[in-house]
Amino acid sequence: MPFLQKNEYREYFMERFGIPWEILEKYIFLERGRKIWAFSGKYLEIGDIELIGIKALTKGRVLKPSTAFLRIVGKRASKNVIRLNYKEMLLFMKGEDIEKSFPVEPGYVIVVWEEDVLGCGFYKNGVLKSQIPSKYRMQDSWI
Amino acid sequence: MEEKAIDYFRKYESIIPDFERFLASLLTPQPYWLRVNTLKISTQKLIERLLQKGFVLEQFGNLNAYKIIEKPVKHPGATLEYSLGYYYIQDLSSMAPVLALNPSNEDTVLDMAAAPGSKTTMMAELMRNEGLIVANDINFNRIKSLAGNIERLGITDVILTQKDARVASFGLKFSKILLDAPCSGEGVYRKNPWGFKGVNERQHRYLGMQQMRMFKNASNHLEEGGIIVYSTCTYHPYENESVVKYAIEKLNLAPIKVKIPIPHTVGVDRWKDETYEFHEDCIRIYPHMVDTGGMFIAVLAKE
Repeated sequence: MPFLQKNEYREYFMERFGIPWEILEKYIFLERGRKIWAFSGKYLEIGDIELIGIKALTKGRVLKPSTAFLRIVGKRASKNVIRLNYKEMLLFMKGEDIEKSFPVEPGYVIVVWEEDVLGCGFYKNGVLKSQIPSKYRMQDSWI
Repeated sequence: MEEKAIDYFRKYESIIPDFERFLASLLTPQPYWLRVNTLKISTQKLIERLLQKGFVLEQFGNLNAYKIIEKPVKHPGATLEYSLGYYYIQDLSSMAPVLALNPSNEDTVLDMAAAPGSKTTMMAELMRNEGLIVANDINFNRIKSLAGNIERLGITDVILTQKDARVASFGLKFSKILLDAPCSGEGVYRKNPWGFKGVNERQHRYLGMQQMRMFKNASNHLEEGGIIVYSTCTYHPYENESVVKYAIEKLNLAPIKVKIPIPHTVGVDRWKDETYEFHEDCIRIYPHMVDTGGMFIAVLAKE
């Protein structure tokens, strides 16, 4: 299946998270199936590509941003950002829910602790659900 | 097991300098080294954070390479910072081929046998996520681990392909090619002595022939004036100097002498009935020199 260039996905990140254009313009967005990939290199049409750049979004009922891409561009987000304290960060990074009211719109949010963009969360009805992929989750033995 | 290993490596007594120290180094565990992912965090900030957590680190010269002297966790990747992609565990010797290639954001680079991605991600860091890296590997599971590392480190200038590097077409010519060839892996013995399986002369020959096929394909994909860095993590001349000799004599590539800031020796000048006139243009890194794994590197140009 070919990758189709669809740079209009930049607008999702601008509208949902207020990420400035100058951060997003360095990426082209390529769609294949339900996934949208962000690529910042010199784009040349070569055959038989397995993957290109980093997965930025997955299409579903609504668009779901990836933790990996939010960790790259999320530092410059100005809305729908949740800032956690240390205890909350540990819970979030272990994949646990956090019951607390945050001043953001319902839906996918960028979750931050101090200067670290932790990744993607889903906020609804006073509950923040961690969307951190299991491979990035903190284990009890970690520091 | 240790005696068996010592016996196995005895065959290199005539080519490895300071051989008894080399043998002694094989009996000590290889330390971990880390590279800061400066695409995501400044070196100073990461090092401060790791020191605060109880790591003891030693920088190698001015390189972005830190030997882990002490760690407060069993595995050096068991930290929040690792999960966030702020550093990569990479042996100093494995950084050497990338230093020899010296890619810039102007380059179009082919990494022919890229997984698990130490060198790919280091190149992307040096290229500041610009230019283009086509990272290839033949094995699907290895591609998955490569993709995982690319994602964790936030690398966005890489295209991944799954092809047979001996015969595949990559659809364009490249200014720089890294051929870090599959090999008998003798240089990583210290990392995993339990899993090490030595090979015999005939198998070294066979591996050398496969490496030559990859070299030929690499040469076909190289722009005029471009360079190929050939590297392996093994010691046998059939997989190293013999392959370079083939590239010079059959592919008309020219060896280039490069300087890397990691202690090393030149290549070997003969093995059995073969002589290698170009040996001074080759680089050999041995574990007893800087407490690393072993590595062979040669740089060749298409003129």
